[in-house]
Formats: sequence, structure tokens, C-alpha cells
Amino acid sequence: MNLLQHLATVIADLLRADASRVVLGEDVADGTMLGLTRIAAEDPELAPRLLSTPLCPSVMPAHAAGLAAEGFRPLVVCTEASALLDAIAALREAAKLTAPVVFIAPFGPGFGLGGGATEGPESSLARIPGVRVVVLSDANDAGATLRAAVEGWAGDEPTVLLVPRTLALAEVGEATEVLSRPFAAPRRVREGEAATVFTWGACVAHVQAAVANSGQDARIVDVECLAPLDRAALVEEAKATGKIVIAHSGPARGGVGAELAALFADDAILTLDAPVLRVTGDDGPLTATSEGKALPSLDALTTAITHVATY
Amino acid sequence: MEPTPWDPEGVTVVLDHDGQLVGGAQPSGLDTKQFYKMLVAARCLDLRLARSGLPMWASAAGEEAALVSTALVSRERDWIYAGFRDVAVALARGLELDAVVAGLFSGEAASPGRIASATHRIAPPTDALGMHLALASGRAHAQKLRGDGDVTFALFGEGLTTTGAFHESSMLAVSNALPMVMVCRSQLWPNGAPAEAGAVGDSVSDRAKAAGFFVRRVDGADALGTHAAITAAADRARQGRGPGFVEVVVTQMHRDPPAHRDPVERLRRHLDKTGAWTQTLQDVIEAEVRGGLDRALEAVQSNETAEA
Repeated sequence: MNLLQHLATVIADLLRADASRVVLGEDVADGTMLGLTRIAAEDPELAPRLLSTPLCPSVMPAHAAGLAAEGFRPLVVCTEASALLDAIAALREAAKLTAPVVFIAPFGPGFGLGGGATEGPESSLARIPGVRVVVLSDANDAGATLRAAVEGWAGDEPTVLLVPRTLALAEVGEATEVLSRPFAAPRRVREGEAATVFTWGACVAHVQAAVANSGQDARIVDVECLAPLDRAALVEEAKATGKIVIAHSGPARGGVGAELAALFADDAILTLDAPVLRVTGDDGPLTATSEGKALPSLDALTTAITHVATY
Repeated sequence: MEPTPWDPEGVTVVLDHDGQLVGGAQPSGLDTKQFYKMLVAARCLDLRLARSGLPMWASAAGEEAALVSTALVSRERDWIYAGFRDVAVALARGLELDAVVAGLFSGEAASPGRIASATHRIAPPTDALGMHLALASGRAHAQKLRGDGDVTFALFGEGLTTTGAFHESSMLAVSNALPMVMVCRSQLWPNGAPAEAGAVGDSVSDRAKAAGFFVRRVDGADALGTHAAITAAADRARQGRGPGFVEVVVTQMHRDPPAHRDPVERLRRHLDKTGAWTQTLQDVIEAEVRGGLDRALEAVQSNETAEA
């Protein structure tokens, strides 16, 4: 079963568990382009709560917030995260109302689309006050992460759950039923003392390969929640080694990586023993044929990790 | 009656320029005297607030019929999503005068001059232009899922009808047959429309009809006609027959139109003909509202002084 298929079973379970949950989006009554509601659509008990809408990207979060104001808990399925960039004003209104709405959207490179899929929508979304931005990185944990978001583990603010396209079709092995760790919190995916690599989304697996390649004892921290940042926990991870690499897909310019670098300059400068390096995708614009440049290369990651760890 | 350039064409008229009921139609289920009192109160409130120094204040004098009718047609469980100059809605929906005034200066709404009340189910306008229409369509979606016969009203001016938020919210309402009533005030421009009304001036109801709404176009100077149109749209929405769009053609009083363009004056002429209006009645209503307003404003200002 691939990740999208697995998420479809989780979405059906979530609808079954709570009658106030509804799904909004294009074609949700027919399963959606990504198949995320395919299982729910086959269940006559759940089908009435699959609310297909016309394409209304710029107001959808506000519409969902209106539903939430009446006690419903909407899950909005977006065909791609760039739809949410059209919706920044509406997201702001939803956040002002602390509307318990979850958005799930694929983003980043992986389907050979180029263009918007090579940019980093997460940095624009992370700037909206009161919106939580969570990026999936582990196919086995993804379903449990969606469940935690919908169940409001971290609070009732609007939550954007971004699914890296590189992960969308990944095979799910042992799916986690319920997260055994906090939701929307930084997570150490590899222990190490020589350097700390902060990353998220599609880049997490990439960084694991690069660390193995480099032979350095670097720890890897999956930031997971890009807004709000758990500043204290992230600073602790930075101070632990004093040597920092930040890696993510999409352009470096104005990204969350820059925010992290500034955070460490603010709160950990006296414990830093090397320059803070950012390794990211190309600034673009990129096309379908150059989509691969949206992810940092294994070489660039390996070089940066080695450079910082041996500085 | 000779129409003036201020009078809209293609509208169903209930009250003519002189306040005569056209075709002998009798407004059913409406206490016209009480309705008139609310229109006067709304006008007094508008004139007084215009002098109060509220930031971003915009007068709604001339638009009272749409605002008061919406509030009167709405039921207790319904929601009203108001725009930036729709204070009269709060008054007509039963908020006390002091609560209205206090709310304008420091209330639930995001900034001064806007009105909101969770208890009276009035939602404030949004920062983003027209986004209150999408919050309203979402609310109406929930009401439809519940199936309790509740309705959501959204108030705005024709200026919003060029925004994406208006179009997308309209599509959500129409395609899902939501119990929503859009009450849109538009204006005529006898001396040519400005760019912001532009090529789309005087076509709002046509566009709404093309979008699939149940549409009524009425004259905002005809308070009884306005009330009847909003009632028709609301009844239909309540029965699950889909969203309505009422275009109310208003004339702003500051543009100095002929007296019959004033909804308050036109209903006064009507009541005068039936013997229900006297100068004493007028004096009493105005004294009551003005006295209450002055007291409420004094209270707000003394609170501000105390806090300073």
C-alpha cells in the first residue's frame, strides 16, 4: 500500500470516529484526484460528509472556518499546496477564529511537474499568524500524524499538513497506529555529536543518506513543525553540537531555513563552532525537466556536513 | 410619476414616490410603524456617529431599508455577516443602544466602527475584502448539513462584486444550494459611473442571475419592497431551495438626491397617508434615540478618559 492509499484508510477511519468531521475539496465525493477519499466515498454512512466544492482556492479556508464555527471539523483536501498560496488572506481569517480546520496538500518535487512544485510554499504559509504548518517525512508515521492533526493534539488552530510528493507514492511498511511521540515537535531521527543537521520533508531521507556517505557522526533533527517553531527545543539541539547544517527542498531565499539560522544566531551564537550552512534547492524558476534541482544534491549535502563537522 | 435619473428601472415597486401602495398591495406580517421607527433610529445613529470621530467611518444614510429589513427578516438562530458600515443591523436585531455604541468603540469586531455580537449572531467584517462572504457561506453550509431551516445573511456593497472572494463564495453557495441570502447594495450614477463601479455598474443582479442565484432587484428607497424581496429570498433559502441574491439600489443621502429617494421619508409619506404618522410621533422617536445615543457616547468617552 502506498502512502496516499494508506491516508485514504485513515481519513475513512477519522470520519467514522466522529460525525462532526467533514471533508471539503474538489471531487472529494468521488475520491479526489489523489484518491484520498476513495475509501470514504464507498461507505454510504460517510459519503454525505464528503463535501465536493467547485474550485475556490482563495476562500476555501474561510468557508471551512464558517463550518467550524458551527461545530464541524473540516479536513480540506488540496490538490497541491500552491492552492494554499492563493488562500493566504482566508487562512489569516481562519486563524483569527482559531478554526479547527486541517488542510492536507502535496508539495515539492517528485512528480516531475516543475514550476510551483519546485518552490517552497511552506515558508509563505509559516508566516501567517496562528497557522500551524507540519511537514510529513516518514511514510510509516504519516497516517498517525494526520490523525494527531485532525484530533487536535497540538491545539485547535488551522493546521496545514504538507505531504512531500517524493513520499506520496512511497510504500508504507509498518504503519504507526497512534504516534508514540509528541505531534508537531522536532524529532531526532539520528543520534550524533559531530554536527546537527536540521531538515524536514523530502530532505530527511536525503540527509540520512548524506550523513552515512560522509562518515561523520552527525545528528539529524526533523523539524517537522515549521510554525510555530519549538524554539527552545531547536536551540538545545543546535547547542548540543555547536555545528549546524540546515537542509531543505526549494529555494534558500526567504525560507524557513533562514529563520532557523537567525534563531541560532539570536539564541546560540556563543556555542556555535562553525558557520551555519544552508543546503537547499535551486532558487529557480525551475521547469519540469530541471525539477531535480529543487532538492539539494547528495554531494552538496555530504560536502557541507563534512565541512561543518570537521571545521 | 416622472422617474428621475436616481430611480432604478426593472424593479418591483411596492411604495411609489409619494408613499402610495402600488396596486393596493398590503405588506403582510410587517408592523410598518415599528419598521419606520427603526429606520429613523438607524438614520439618527448614522448622523450622530458621523460627528463622533470614529476612524474609517462611512455613512450609510440612504441604505437603512436594506440593513433594517435584513435584521427584521432574520430569525434568532440565523447569522448575519455584516460589512463595514452596517451598524444599523445591530440596532434592528435588538442590541441595546449602549451596547451598539460601546461595541463600535471597543467591541468584538476587529477595529473601531465595525459591529459584532456573538449573542445576537452578528459576525464582524474581515480584514481581507469580501472574506466575510466565505465565512458566511461556510456557516450556511453547516446550516444545510444540520437541516434546521436556519439561514445566513451576508451584507455588502456592489464594490465587492468584482473581488475573487465574492465570486468564489457565490459559487460555493450556488453549487451547494446553501441557505444563504446575499443582500447587495448598489448605486446608480446619473452623472457617469466612477471606475470602481465601472463597466459593471447597474448589472449586479444580472450577473447574480447568470451565476445561478434566485435574484430580486429592488429599490432601496422603497422600504416595503426591500423588505418583501429579502423575505422572499430568505423564505426560499429556509425551505432548502438554494441561495438568494437581493440587489437593493440605494441612493446615498450625502449626494443630495430628491426627497423621494430617501427610504425614511418615503415610508413617512406612506404612514402620513394612513394617519399613522404625526410630528409628535417623529419628535418622540428622535428624542428617544438621540437621548440614548448621547448618553451612550458620554459613557464611552468617560470610560476612555478614566482609562487614559
